[in-house]
Amino acid sequence: MTSVDDAFRPPQDTWNPVSPRLTTARRLTLLLGYLIVVGIGVVLWFFPGIPRPIAWAYSGVALAVFVWAWWLIGRRVRSYGYAEREDDLLVVNGILVRRLTIVPYGRMQLVDLRSGPIDRMLGVSTVQLHTAAATTDATIPGLLPDEAAALRDRLAARGEVRSAGL
Amino acid sequence: MTDVLAVPRRTVPITPLVYAVQFIPAVFIALLAVGGGIADRTGVPLVIVAFVGSGFAAAVTAAIGWWSWARLTYYIDADGDLRVDSGILQRQLRRLQLSRLQSVDVVAPLAARLFGLVELRVEVAGIGDSRATLRYLNRGDAQELRAHILDRAALLRGEAPPVGEGPEPGDEAPTPSSSEVLAQVPSGRLMGGLLLRSSTAGLLLLTAVVIAGTVFTQGPAGLVVALITGGVPIFSVLTEFLTFAGFVVTRGSRGLRVRHGLLQVNSRTIPTGRVQGVQLVAPLLWRRYGWVRVELTIAGLGGEAGDAGRAVLLPVGSRQTALDLIAEVLPEVDLDSLPWQSVPSRARRRAPIQWRVLAYAVTDAVIASRRGRITRRIAVAPHARVQSVRVTQGPWERSLALASVHVDLAPGPVQVIASHIDLAQARPLADAEADRARRARLGST
Repeated sequence: MTSVDDAFRPPQDTWNPVSPRLTTARRLTLLLGYLIVVGIGVVLWFFPGIPRPIAWAYSGVALAVFVWAWWLIGRRVRSYGYAEREDDLLVVNGILVRRLTIVPYGRMQLVDLRSGPIDRMLGVSTVQLHTAAATTDATIPGLLPDEAAALRDRLAARGEVRSAGL
Repeated sequence: MTDVLAVPRRTVPITPLVYAVQFIPAVFIALLAVGGGIADRTGVPLVIVAFVGSGFAAAVTAAIGWWSWARLTYYIDADGDLRVDSGILQRQLRRLQLSRLQSVDVVAPLAARLFGLVELRVEVAGIGDSRATLRYLNRGDAQELRAHILDRAALLRGEAPPVGEGPEPGDEAPTPSSSEVLAQVPSGRLMGGLLLRSSTAGLLLLTAVVIAGTVFTQGPAGLVVALITGGVPIFSVLTEFLTFAGFVVTRGSRGLRVRHGLLQVNSRTIPTGRVQGVQLVAPLLWRRYGWVRVELTIAGLGGEAGDAGRAVLLPVGSRQTALDLIAEVLPEVDLDSLPWQSVPSRARRRAPIQWRVLAYAVTDAVIASRRGRITRRIAVAPHARVQSVRVTQGPWERSLALASVHVDLAPGPVQVIASHIDLAQARPLADAEADRARRARLGST
């Protein structure tokens, strides 16, 4: 397994992690989504004429999926990492399928900074790099707002210096 | 020339007539199909109903067409950019920056060709709607405008204007006879090639099986399936044949010129500086004849979804022709001597069918990949066009100590992916490619 870490190793000692607040934000989203699931469960339990085993089976599966998703969010967030090298930006993510993206600063066309309502509540932002290729997959979620703004400005400045267009 | 073009002009006055004419057949057929009710109730013969109805529709189209014609003007502004003002109720003032020019195509749709007219499509790089279509123009006007736009764009890019400043005789000839022909595709070979494409051949084979099954079991259910599996390939072969018939590639003063099409003649200049990647496609049944197809990714080339950036440089032809054409657009590539690196034999367990084909190659100028057992694709991209590099590894690859390196290019048909290579090579390859991409660009500009 050491060789696996080799291919996705950070350039220096460690990857810059994203904030654990992202875990909270995503778990909150999960909870909100589960309101519907719980609602269906309530109907199953209290609606007359529905056999108990169905209600039990539904609740069991729903709970298992919830626990699994809760745990997965934690691991997924921990799998994110980025590193700024002299000439390019590296982003890693993924557990089952691991991905490492290398974007030379000169190829950046646009740096996006965005945060949704739940993200804003918890104070996290997402930085996304766009190149002329639609397949470039360089998204760093879960940055603290200051960190994100600073990163965006650094990237934009480097992009300008090295800009090469298409 | 610029002075003349600076005055706002209109397209030719018979443009509304062309609109009307191209509308008539469709309405006529539609009325023949659904106009039975009207014919019955009024006692007028169906053909007359269809005639009157389509005549009325044509008159309405012509009226609207005349209005929009009267509201459309185009000219070259003081900065040398192309302006197109159009729109009936909502005015649209468009300015196409010629320094960002992608392509200028002269197209002759069927209806326009009846009147000896053409339409001019101008595309510039940009997000969203960055194309203008001027319809319809006289061939001479269109070519004058096209030559001016190309000259202007070349000037802005810092290239020397082509010989003689003005339109070049060879480039302006309506038929390519006077300029150097690099490749031509005979109709027979085009039809043969289209029929032997993997998808077509597969579906036709499936149809045969379905029909045989239907005959054996004597059940009618299979016929519907056969109609679909047989109809789809026949339809696609016919449309592709009409699109690519009479395919000719010539060398113009500003790049390669490609002309093709039976009903609608397409004529396009391939701007060599905008080529992002090249792909050599060889379906299984083509390989015994040594045929290949050549596709290019051109930056910013518009198209329908999934077709953006795609330009066909050769629909079907010999490998030698293909290599000669590729040498025109990417002179630094020698496809015959790429140093292919095969994947380790344990990749067989991840890709049992195509693992022997999988390979990648890196030279000073390009990175290339070879993929596909049934339809073989060799994709090549210059380092200077590489946008970003990705390493991915799925669980199955992880257990075999393999990984894949994806090279991200501008949207188009060309995909360079070094699939299932040895894990130890993946990260060094990706790091080195990102570095080469950066340095290639520094060197070229």
